[in-house]
Amino acid sequence: MSDDRERRVGHHADPRPPTDLFRSGRPDRFMLGLARLAARLEPLTARLRPGHPPPKPTGDLPVRVVRTERPSPDVAVLTLAPVAPETTLPAWQPGHHVDVVLDGGVVRQYSLNGDPSDRSRYRIAVRRIEGGLGSGLAHGLREGDVLGLRGPRNAFPFARAERYLFVAGGIGITPILPMVVAAHAAGLPYRLVYTGRSRSGMPFLDELPEGPDVFVRPDDEYGPPKAADLTRGLEPGTPVYVCGPAPLIAAVGALVPTGTPFYSERFSPPPVVDGRPFEIRLGRSGPVLPVEAHETALDVLLRVRPGTPYSCRQGFCGTCRVGLVEGEPEHRDRPTGGAPRDGGFTPCVSRAGEGERIVLDL
Amino acid sequence: MNTDPAPVTTDEPDRLVLRARDVHFDWSALDLHWIPDEPFATHVINVLHLLLPEGERWFVEVFKQAVPHITDHELREQVLGFIGQEAVHAEAHAGVLDHMDAHGLDPRPYVEQIAWLFRVVLGDRDLSGAREFAWLRTRLAVIAGIEHYTAVLGQWVLDAKRLDEVGTDPTMLDLLRWHGAEEVEHRSVAYDLYMHVDGGYARRALAMGVAAFALASLWVRGVRFLVVNDPYLRGRIDGVRPKASWALRDGRRGLIPHLGRLARAIPEYLRRRYHPSHHGSTAQAVAYLAVSPAARAAEAAEREAAR
Repeated sequence: MSDDRERRVGHHADPRPPTDLFRSGRPDRFMLGLARLAARLEPLTARLRPGHPPPKPTGDLPVRVVRTERPSPDVAVLTLAPVAPETTLPAWQPGHHVDVVLDGGVVRQYSLNGDPSDRSRYRIAVRRIEGGLGSGLAHGLREGDVLGLRGPRNAFPFARAERYLFVAGGIGITPILPMVVAAHAAGLPYRLVYTGRSRSGMPFLDELPEGPDVFVRPDDEYGPPKAADLTRGLEPGTPVYVCGPAPLIAAVGALVPTGTPFYSERFSPPPVVDGRPFEIRLGRSGPVLPVEAHETALDVLLRVRPGTPYSCRQGFCGTCRVGLVEGEPEHRDRPTGGAPRDGGFTPCVSRAGEGERIVLDL
Repeated sequence: MNTDPAPVTTDEPDRLVLRARDVHFDWSALDLHWIPDEPFATHVINVLHLLLPEGERWFVEVFKQAVPHITDHELREQVLGFIGQEAVHAEAHAGVLDHMDAHGLDPRPYVEQIAWLFRVVLGDRDLSGAREFAWLRTRLAVIAGIEHYTAVLGQWVLDAKRLDEVGTDPTMLDLLRWHGAEEVEHRSVAYDLYMHVDGGYARRALAMGVAAFALASLWVRGVRFLVVNDPYLRGRIDGVRPKASWALRDGRRGLIPHLGRLARAIPEYLRRRYHPSHHGSTAQAVAYLAVSPAARAAEAAEREAAR
């Protein structure tokens, strides 16, 4: 079947116009007509002027750290305000995050967590991860420090519903808190289950709405959580919003039945696993670039050619795939729908053996 | 389950991050006429499976060429997300073509025409310099026009309750609604990209005119092709050759998009103050993606890989 399929949908176009759909043999007149139309319109549209001159590059939004708090030793809560006075920050909704540009161009994403109606400041919370570069830099920030912001963007859409179940684990409360506050303010029925190791390590306890809808569930009081405890009483159709450690999200997701909406924040692509250093060459006579064990060939390509197209960074969409000229690659892609690889190399995930060199058609 | 209509909202989810979902569908149990006893409506929608793989691969190629011309960080991110979503759409629909073949309906003659149209007629045309860039902008304008249609169709299929009522194959309905939801989710990207690199009204209007004419013609040709080559129909449905009026009839019945809605899309798009975000509901798209079996499975697999 795969040969057949390749011939049908993956073939390279034959420059001759295709034959008629019904009386095979003759060129198709409608298709020839479309080709003539395109050939006439192309020179005509080449004379049309753009509606505006090329746009200038936009930079990051400079903000200043105006307040730092430590609700627990490993959590830093930062309040950020625009450097330029009288500036309004872009509007946001619960679930939005910003890209924070830290020292040395390190970019990390943090959920917004303050009051969406206050356009003069943003608030983010950062948990310190042992050995984590971004969280270490963020914890080193002091009042008065200036950094760049991009966004806000939304990878965790909060859609209006009639009722909600929120599940937060530890620092996962950050995007959930504004959702809970919004549901509470709108008078919508909801339930929040907030888990963590102990109360002292669970931020924003004092900002949660009071009432029977909020269940704070530290492990040192209730024991380690079971997913079934967290979703107890879930009525079919009630949207479930989860944020926290990956195992928590997976466990809750597995219990949410089909037909009941399930929302979780989508993670950034996974880091390189089992990588060995190798080399890529851009064309037979082009430059040779080393790829370190912890990075992908795409990371290296983007450094030298920032306009390189890519998309999923997980090896399924095929956007970054390039021709392979020479070398023995270690294919780690899994083209979606089993599409043929066509002698290509997918730099977002595929690699080569230690010290090997592969030549890409670039 | 509560079946009251959702409350009217003004708070549409905004500024969505677009990310492709690696969806998988199993067509082994699909009937050739997957809207039961409605071969005409089935084939009207089947034309999408013939058009979209080549069309969306072409979107991807053209957009990849546009990426170096983008000077706005956020737009670049949106465009990169759009490209991945379109690439997966193309392969998902291509999977249905294999299924048609297995039922004795060989889609090749039609698909080869579409491949030639997108790869040769709308391909790179051996141009250089300013003219090459102008041809890129013209093709971006064509894509922006087509994307208005895909958003209209996406919204239609999210709303099309009738398809559930008549027992449409649930896997096919999930494919169509997952695709429709992603089209609604990313409906502003092609227009925003065109406005970023060009923004001229004449090019955008001309491109929409050509795109609407070509789409309409290709759709009619596609339905004829499928009905004639369907081994169970051989050109006739209930002993009669299909009539144009059936498209209006099935549109009114809610089995296919209504022609009036498709026609209205043109003046809508030609308004000077048009913006895709004024049409369609992101909230509805996002809500479908939160229940779609294929999207849920894709996101669960992604989480598993990230652990």
